[in-house]
Amino acid sequence: MSDQITITIDGRQINVMPGLKLLWAALDNGIYIPHLCAIREEIRPNASCRLCFVEIEGSKHPVTSCTKTVEENMVVKTRSPRIDRLVKTAFELIISDHNLKCNECPANKNCVLQTIAKERGLRLKQKRFKSIVREFELDDSPEVFAFDRSRCVLCGQCIWADRVEAKVGAIGFTNRGIKRMVTTFKDLPLADSICTQCTLCVDACPVGALYYKKDRKEAGS
Amino acid sequence: MSNLTPLVSYEKLRSEAVLATNADAEKTRVLVGTATCGVAAGALQVKEDFIREIGAKGLDAEVIEVGCMGHCYAEPLAVIAKPGFPPICYGHLDNGLVHRLVEDFLAGDDPCYEYAMAALEPNDVFPTFAEFPRGVYEQKLILEQCGFIDARNIDSYLARDGYSALAQALEGEPQQVLAEIKQANLRGRGGAGFPAGLKWEACIKSGGEQIYVICNADEGDPGAFMDRSILESDPHLVLEGMILCAYAVGSGKGFLYIRAEYPRAVTHVQEAIDQARAKGLLGTKILGSDFSFDLEIFQGSGAFVCGEATALVNSMEGKMGMPESRPPRLAQKGYRGRPTVLNNVKTFAYVPLIIKNGADWFKAIGTPDSPGTAVFSLVGKVVNTGLVEVPMGTTLRQLIFDVGDGLPNGREFKAVQIGGPSGGCLPETALDVPIDFDSLQEAGAIMGSGGLVVMAQDDCMVAVARYFLEFTQHESCGKCTFCRLGTKQMLDILTDITQGKGDDQTLALLEELSEDVRDGSLCNLGRTAPNPVLTTLKYFRDEYEAHIKEGRCPALVCHDLILYYILPRKCSKLCNVCVGSCPTEAIFTREDGLKEINQEKCVKCDNCLKACPPEYTAVVKLSPPILPPEKERKN
Amino acid sequence: MQLVEGEKEVIIACVNEVLKEKEKTTENLIPILQNVQARLGYLPSLAMEMIAADLAVPAADVFGLATFYNQFRLSPPGKHQVKVCLGTACYMVGGKIALESFERRMEIREGETSVDRLYSLERVACVGCCTMAPVVVVDEVVEGKVTPTRVDGIMLALQENGDTKKSEMKTDLPDEGEGKNK
Repeated sequence: MSDQITITIDGRQINVMPGLKLLWAALDNGIYIPHLCAIREEIRPNASCRLCFVEIEGSKHPVTSCTKTVEENMVVKTRSPRIDRLVKTAFELIISDHNLKCNECPANKNCVLQTIAKERGLRLKQKRFKSIVREFELDDSPEVFAFDRSRCVLCGQCIWADRVEAKVGAIGFTNRGIKRMVTTFKDLPLADSICTQCTLCVDACPVGALYYKKDRKEAGS
Repeated sequence: MSNLTPLVSYEKLRSEAVLATNADAEKTRVLVGTATCGVAAGALQVKEDFIREIGAKGLDAEVIEVGCMGHCYAEPLAVIAKPGFPPICYGHLDNGLVHRLVEDFLAGDDPCYEYAMAALEPNDVFPTFAEFPRGVYEQKLILEQCGFIDARNIDSYLARDGYSALAQALEGEPQQVLAEIKQANLRGRGGAGFPAGLKWEACIKSGGEQIYVICNADEGDPGAFMDRSILESDPHLVLEGMILCAYAVGSGKGFLYIRAEYPRAVTHVQEAIDQARAKGLLGTKILGSDFSFDLEIFQGSGAFVCGEATALVNSMEGKMGMPESRPPRLAQKGYRGRPTVLNNVKTFAYVPLIIKNGADWFKAIGTPDSPGTAVFSLVGKVVNTGLVEVPMGTTLRQLIFDVGDGLPNGREFKAVQIGGPSGGCLPETALDVPIDFDSLQEAGAIMGSGGLVVMAQDDCMVAVARYFLEFTQHESCGKCTFCRLGTKQMLDILTDITQGKGDDQTLALLEELSEDVRDGSLCNLGRTAPNPVLTTLKYFRDEYEAHIKEGRCPALVCHDLILYYILPRKCSKLCNVCVGSCPTEAIFTREDGLKEINQEKCVKCDNCLKACPPEYTAVVKLSPPILPPEKERKN
Repeated sequence: MQLVEGEKEVIIACVNEVLKEKEKTTENLIPILQNVQARLGYLPSLAMEMIAADLAVPAADVFGLATFYNQFRLSPPGKHQVKVCLGTACYMVGGKIALESFERRMEIREGETSVDRLYSLERVACVGCCTMAPVVVVDEVVEGKVTPTRVDGIMLALQENGDTKKSEMKTDLPDEGEGKNK
């Protein structure tokens, strides 16, 4: 299309629609940038996972590609020693707060964290940081799915699904800082909340925090 | 009023105020400083004492509550203004002293100079504050009236030409106000020092029908309280600054975001708003002009992160106080999606002064790049604690040793922490750094909101860094990875170090992680959180190493690395003070009559060390926590 | 938490009153919560549900706010509230020691309310009286220079005046002083 603009990512020239955020421009063109919290439809991106850093020529500091709108002739690098260092630390910090028993996890082999590790050559079993995974009671109250908060990476995808797609409003973020979590009103089990168990949130979860119980999975596949 | 020009309307208000406040000029007045700090020291009691004593003597004297004069070290304070005498300030008041002052000075004519701190006006008999050695360095602009006017009576402000800058501005064009502020190069006092004029201009350029003006009074830096003090002591100065800003940018509505921990400030500001509205200084057609603007208070709910601009706006909109990625900036898209001016309390307080006296007057104070004054709350191990206002460019050494009169009890200076949890710790070698936005940043600290904590040799820099990290970690909103998890990991590493744990890699990891949290966080809370760690690692690395390598806390602070010990050769058999002081009954009397501490029971509360009489000083702290050989202990 | 008889009615009446005073916008959500807490001392979940319904926001969001901000509490406070300041200045001169002393005397930890609901103990970031450090706020009254022995004094005063308000206590003091002067 004529109104497209041209940008360069990692030496590759690509044509994209103006107004698009850089992250989606890259992903749409098969260039991988790690990300967890980004939602294409969101007007003001969360920018909370801090994994999608890139370097843009002319910018002093690394920028998050989910918040950066593409500009004509923008020259972008998705890898550099600085970017790699930031992404590695962000990733390892997330891992330090994530229940790493992958072989017990229904999302094993289908987990965004594993994808990021593979794409960027990072180790899931990081050694720099102490594990600070919190203990939560498993919420398996819904009929077909369950919620294991020890695997939650606080990306907010489930809340978006609940609010914007399902229009229910059963779950949200609560607390502050290290205690931040996704939960229902009064921390009720999902089945006791206003949750309709539509499972859109389960489909949105990039890791194995919200997952289908076994029987359903088998029935589905 | 509609036929009158703003200046004429104003002049009428002012002369009424002068009349109202001077009606009893012949009356003796007692001004008691009852800002929160004064109240904490017992000022309300002092006020009651004055009223009672004056009543008992049947004297004709008025007792008025005023704000904070900044001489907090001498609270409770009062000024006695008796006709025929210069107004004199007395500190450390108690009911004995109040009784004496009423009897000798108010009833008699003896000003009790032996108890006086200073006079407030030049005179032949007693020195003023300006004649104190520190007076040479101080220059009060925005604190000038604090503690000297009745904060709860608008007439008190009006009678001293308050709101004249507004009247003057309303006679001219809004652009003139903007031009003056830009010309003055007034830099935002919230910490980062962004020029206020440029911010205002950006808002005007964003345009639209509604622009909001918000005053950030969510002063959350632990250790800074000047915003509270100004709001409690001289609220109209801030209101006038906000109204002027609103006039300049064409705003009709403004808010003061005041933290809930400051109930007194909320009360005073609300009263000030009501009084200003009643006088036609707020609301529709201010002073008879075509300009309308009104103000409202929004009370913060206690989240440090709400000091961050986008988080503050979110919180005002009824959401969690979470920062957003920028751009867009507030000047483009702020409160209710409209262009918004957000400035700190102090920034607004300078505005009326600049409009009244001109940009050149302002620029003649301070340094070329940071004109004006800097306000600090001087606390910690320093003699003259309180609020100080000095021209930018004053050195830290002058501030601490000349204005603050150095450290108490012969303590030796170790470091100064500037800018709160976002700032840094600077050592002795950095004391000649001039105080201005850019020099401090170069040294690794920031101006921040002006908290300045002096630390002595008995303060542990690792513990201090840990304290600040604990604070930021506790106050992190939890949105972004680096701040939520990074500060937590940093805190855990620091906690380990204060317990003597760690290896060769620990400091390298801490430094690396600090840099990544600085570079990777979403907002300035996270980005500046590592500053206390990075600066202490830079200037006091040996202390970190002593903890890790020797299990020793050089400042004898870290609980896990010290123990309390009673020196047998210094302990007196005749004294029992320490035994009584111990909350856990850990101290016992040995068969030989000397005292000893049961280390199992000791909670290291420091009571016994404080209680041991100075003639013995038998209680000491040892680090690493190893008791002397038994032979010595038997002694 | 189980509400005792009568509590429910009090909550409903209070929330309705507050909701009547304020315009129904999400911008008023925090002021409404502040108002309700000022009257009830805490935010009962019933109140949060009523407010959410009235403002047409998810109850989960009201719960989110109530757990995000330091000011809000979800359980009733003790009869006497002690807030220990742990701002920099207070921390440096023994704020933590004061906190620990209170914890020992009240036999609870920071953030808790004693079983008899007599005391609750909190830490606050800074009450802005740094020069009086260490500072504690006892039932809205700011006390400066609080050493462990002063903690004992405060606790004693609270115990003795279990039923009297702090302000009444304070007025007792000058009489003593006067006696000394005469």
